[in-house]
Amino acid sequence: MSKCKFEDSIDGYLLNRLGEKDREAFEEHYFNCSSCFELLRERDVIIRTIKNNPQLLVEEKVEAHKPVMATIRRELASFLSPRQLALAGITAILILVVIFVFVPRNPSPAPSFFLSDEETVRGSSITLISPVIDMSQVPSSFEWKKLGEDIEYQVSIFNNLLLWRTTTKENRITLPEEVRAKMVPGEKYSWQVKAFSSDGTLIAVSSRVQFKIAPR
Amino acid sequence: MSQHKIDEDIQELIVRYRPIITFRVRKALGPQNADCEDLVSEILSQVMGKIQSGEFRGESSLGTFVYTITSRRIIDYIREKTKVMKYAPEPVPFPDPQETLEVQELSEKVKKALARLKPKYRDVLYLYYYQELNREEVASRLGISTRKVSELVNYALKLLRKELKT
Repeated sequence: MSKCKFEDSIDGYLLNRLGEKDREAFEEHYFNCSSCFELLRERDVIIRTIKNNPQLLVEEKVEAHKPVMATIRRELASFLSPRQLALAGITAILILVVIFVFVPRNPSPAPSFFLSDEETVRGSSITLISPVIDMSQVPSSFEWKKLGEDIEYQVSIFNNLLLWRTTTKENRITLPEEVRAKMVPGEKYSWQVKAFSSDGTLIAVSSRVQFKIAPR
Repeated sequence: MSQHKIDEDIQELIVRYRPIITFRVRKALGPQNADCEDLVSEILSQVMGKIQSGEFRGESSLGTFVYTITSRRIIDYIREKTKVMKYAPEPVPFPDPQETLEVQELSEKVKKALARLKPKYRDVLYLYYYQELNREEVASRLGISTRKVSELVNYALKLLRKELKT
C-alpha cells in the first residue's frame, strides 16, 4: 500500500501544530483525498478519546510513584515465576513459624561475673597515685595503682602536646633528666596511663590528670 | 447532460462531501456548536448552486472547489459571530467524541483497544498524544531513539485501527 505524503500531516493537523500554510494545504488535500480523510477521521476519534480518557493509558503510571517497588517486583518476576515466588514466600513463613514456635522463648539466665582484686575488665580505669595535685617542683617520678602481673603500661606526659611517652612493666617510672629539663615551673602538665595485656590489647585507660608546677 | 445524470451526480457529491465538510466545520466551530448542521447544509446547497449555474468550470479539482467554499463560509460565520459577541466562539480543543452515534461507537472501541495495549505502546501514546510531546521529546523521556518512537506510535495506531475495523 503506497503511503500518501500528507499522511504525516494528520497528527500535526489534529494537534494544531501546523503553520497556516501547511494547515490550509492539508485541508485542501483531504477534501480531495478520500483515503487521507478516512485516516484523519479515525485519528481524530483516537486522539480525542485519548485526550478525554488519559487514565486508560496511565493506570500503571500511579505505581510509577513507587518506582523502587515496581523495579523490585519486575526484577523478581524476571528470575522467579509466580509459582516459584509463592513457594519462596511459603518457605519463608514456615521458617519464621519454626523459629518463633519451636525455639525456646526463655533462655537460661545470663551468667554473672565476679572479679577478684587482681582482675580487671577491659576498658576499666587505672588509678593514678602521683602526681595528682600541684607540685612544688618538677616531679621526679610518676606512680599509679598496679593492675596485675605481666601488664605493660604506656605513660604519656603532655604539656599542650605530647611531651614524652614511655612504656614499662612497673607501676611507676622515674623521669629521665632530659625530660625533667623540659618541664618548666609555673606551667601546667597532664599525664595518662594506658595498660596493655601481654598480647598487646588495650585493657585499661586512666583518666588524664592535670598538675601544675609551682613557679619558683 | 441529462437532468437525471445531474441529479445522480449531485447525490454522489452530497454523499462524498457531506462528511468532509462536516468534519471541517466541526473542527472549526466545535461539535457542540448548534449551528454546525445548518452551516454544512448551507455550504452543500451553495456548492450545488454554483455547479448548476456553471461557476465550477473544472479549473481546479472538485475537492478544492468545495474546500474553498467551505473555508469562506466558515470565515464568514466567525466574522458574523465576532460582530455580535466581540470574541469568536472558541471551540473546545479536544471535545469528547460524542457528536454522533457512529463516533460514540468508534470511541468506545478505541477505549477498549487502548486498555488492551501493551504498556510500551500506552506510554508512547500517552506522551505523544496526551502530553503532546514531539517525537524527540518522547524519545528522550523513554530513553529510546526517535525512530523507535515513530515505530511504536505507528504500530500502536495500526493495532487500534485493526480493532476499529472489527
